[in-house]
Amino acid sequence: MTTIYPTIADAIEKSAKTAKAPLAWNPTDHVLSRLAFGPTPAARTEIARNGIPAWISAQIAAGHTYAGYTGDPLVAAQATRLGLSPADSFTLLKLGGNKYGWDVMTQLTQTTLGLQVWSKAQLYEVLVDFFTNHLNVVCPRGDLWVTRHTFDRDVIRAHAMGSFTDMLLASARNPAMLLYLDLAQSTKSAVNENYARELLELHTVGLVYSEADVKNVAKLLTGRTVSSRTFDYTYNPAIHGTGGVTVLGFRHPNSSTADGEVGGDALLRYLAAHPSTAKRLARKLCIRLVSDRPSHALVTAVATAYLGSGTQILPMLDTILRSEEFWASRGHKVRRPAENVIATMRILEVRPASIGAALKYLQTMTQQVGNQPLAWGPPDGYPDVATAWRSASTLLMLWLHHLGLAADSWTNAFAKSNKTTLYGGTPANSGDAIARLGVRLTGAPLPTAHAAALQTFLAESATTPMARSTLHALLPALVALILDGPSHALR
Amino acid sequence: MPFGENNLTRRRFLAGIGALGASVVGSQVVTTKIALGAAPSNGNTVIVIFLRGGADGLRILSPQSASLGVNYLRTVRPALVPGDGEAIGLDGTGGWALNKAMAPLHQLLWATGEMAFVPAVSNPGVSRSHFQAQQFVEQGGSTTVSTGWLDRVLTQLGPGTTFRALADGFTLPMSMAGNEAKIAMSSLADFDFPGTGAIRTPAMTALSALYRGIGGPLGEDVPTALSAVATAAAIRAAVTVQNAAVYPTGPTAAALKDLVAILRAEVGLQVATLDVSSWDTHTTEANGLDALLSNTAQALAAFFTDLGPTRRSRVTVVVQSEFGRRVAMNASAGTDHGHGGLVWLLGGGLVGKTVHGKWTPLTSAADLDAGDVAGLNDPFNICGEVVQKRLGVGSLATVFPGLSYTPLGLARTG
Repeated sequence: MTTIYPTIADAIEKSAKTAKAPLAWNPTDHVLSRLAFGPTPAARTEIARNGIPAWISAQIAAGHTYAGYTGDPLVAAQATRLGLSPADSFTLLKLGGNKYGWDVMTQLTQTTLGLQVWSKAQLYEVLVDFFTNHLNVVCPRGDLWVTRHTFDRDVIRAHAMGSFTDMLLASARNPAMLLYLDLAQSTKSAVNENYARELLELHTVGLVYSEADVKNVAKLLTGRTVSSRTFDYTYNPAIHGTGGVTVLGFRHPNSSTADGEVGGDALLRYLAAHPSTAKRLARKLCIRLVSDRPSHALVTAVATAYLGSGTQILPMLDTILRSEEFWASRGHKVRRPAENVIATMRILEVRPASIGAALKYLQTMTQQVGNQPLAWGPPDGYPDVATAWRSASTLLMLWLHHLGLAADSWTNAFAKSNKTTLYGGTPANSGDAIARLGVRLTGAPLPTAHAAALQTFLAESATTPMARSTLHALLPALVALILDGPSHALR
Repeated sequence: MPFGENNLTRRRFLAGIGALGASVVGSQVVTTKIALGAAPSNGNTVIVIFLRGGADGLRILSPQSASLGVNYLRTVRPALVPGDGEAIGLDGTGGWALNKAMAPLHQLLWATGEMAFVPAVSNPGVSRSHFQAQQFVEQGGSTTVSTGWLDRVLTQLGPGTTFRALADGFTLPMSMAGNEAKIAMSSLADFDFPGTGAIRTPAMTALSALYRGIGGPLGEDVPTALSAVATAAAIRAAVTVQNAAVYPTGPTAAALKDLVAILRAEVGLQVATLDVSSWDTHTTEANGLDALLSNTAQALAAFFTDLGPTRRSRVTVVVQSEFGRRVAMNASAGTDHGHGGLVWLLGGGLVGKTVHGKWTPLTSAADLDAGDVAGLNDPFNICGEVVQKRLGVGSLATVFPGLSYTPLGLARTG
């Protein structure tokens, strides 16, 4: 039984102050590693000043203030195409001389990464990332070249802090989703079941459906298609198959050719509010924010909050944050590869030298660890448990990125910075320098054995004065090693 | 897919890192010793290639005789059945024919008995959901364990080298899930520890210490990665393409090329996996599938050519998918999710030049399982026979729990 406290403040105060080693209990870095893409010194300062509950409230407000792509001015300024309609996107591409170019999709990927690193609305970006994977539509993909960004904008970002019903309704009228899962091609005379199955299995209730349910959903949704003229969603009653349907207890006479929309929306509302959907969404959100194996009790409480609020997303989050289980879960998650890269950028406070080059490098870095945002091909989204990410190659590549960032290797993309500021003052000696870096980079003193291993790496005793220390040359390598270690790999 | 203009090379990433620390700590020794470890039990390798998305077996190996069902297929999937002379007839099989895209593989392996197929492959536990089906197949039919069937094969085989189990790609597939050490390698060229010069070895030693006693996946994978780096460097240094093999472009060929280098280095590779994606052909299947199949077949033909007849006699490739597809075409000249699919067997140790297993001639909807090819041949019998005869796995009881093992006689011991 997990305890759910009345308020977040109560939960922080009364929860057992435990963490999984080598991480130490640290509610500030915990919340910044779960509701943000990793701690920054500025965010730590904000929490130190105002407290965690105030920071969370401010993040929820920021999610509204900086909705869409506005969470960072530099990133927002280069997101020039993401507000365009499919038709206008196409026109612009044609004017540029490459009408099937992937410019808009590339801009979406890079903007997503830029916001994950630098947006002031971190919680919003975390939720956007969660629902992007929940309702996955791969990006880039050739046939989604002028529509994929509308899914991000009009479905995910528009509803990430609102109601899941609204998000699902929007997704079922979005051209990118309809093209990705072939609903656009489904007609009464020849039905395509792809969207119907994944709507049930992935977007809503999970593996509790029958093959007959799939066929009924597919039939009811025929007529929802994409205009070959505007590339936007359109409804074509002429291809809608009428005739009564039942789906998991939902019944609809489907007697009119308008029922692909009217009946379809009724079905989507029913599915969004289904207890199986509540449980699946709750479980996935707990896996993202708490641990790979959240307790049944927590999942049930979160699902109850979802159903009780009429499928609102934020009450699920609130329940998680009022749980003992959340605050006692530090160290229980392994950062996914892209998360690790972004958390590295944040903890080192890396700023762009050129925003264009920086975003390009971010895309390449995440692509090289198999975790470029939005790029998961199948409709189930990137996996979110550690066992799904086991890879020697990815570890080596992450370590390369840590070293590259710590050593300022990519100065055309990222601004050079003086890494001695990471000491936060003047270290007394080599041992003190290691200790200071540990706190600065991991939020807590390093375990004794880790500090000793790093001291051995420097090939000098802890009492070596800074003037004679190998740190003059090895500081970047030492910073990278700390980031390579488990204290940064885990969250 | 995400390979575009933005893909910077490792070389560019490394620029500026190389010199780091090279001028200090001169007394620290750089070790270049290559530990290849103990030889594997019998020197054979099984490679499992998974066609993700549910490959349409009927378009890869199609019935081209009335007795197997071509007439019915022409009525329900007209755009997907090759016309007369458009497929490669397989002599002595009663009318099976290969998609023309398979020509390079057929040319190289069929006559020599290094190629065989099993149609109508599925298990009653496989549903028409991609995700359930993949998980069920890769967990070996067990719904009570969370490990993959290849992990349990490794357990049966006992200890091996660092390179005994290799997954191509960024992560391990579900078939490899479990506690046996394995390497996921997205590219041999990139498989290296960052940093050169005097700091390289001390950094690896320090990292090793940081993960001591951590447990969990990271606690196992970090030592594996560190111990594989030197061997990978030695393999990389020895890469050559032999026998005038010509690889096509694309990730499948790149992965197979890496595998040849690893096999040739004799580092004890016992099992390897490789995923080929995009077989979920709900729309315009003929073009999409044939192009993908062509690239896959060319890549595999280059792989076997490169290895050469002697080396490939110790390599057996199993190509499978989570399910086959609906027999009838859908609205979009594609096919929806089905059931019975196709397994290809390539390389050494096979009873080749034949189509194994049961087949029910398709003459009407009554011959189908809810519109799909029935699952007449169990994938676990096929995989079980391959690992038992080629790798010397003893009992299959833990590999495929609950399987009543009935080999099809498709592989040879030795």
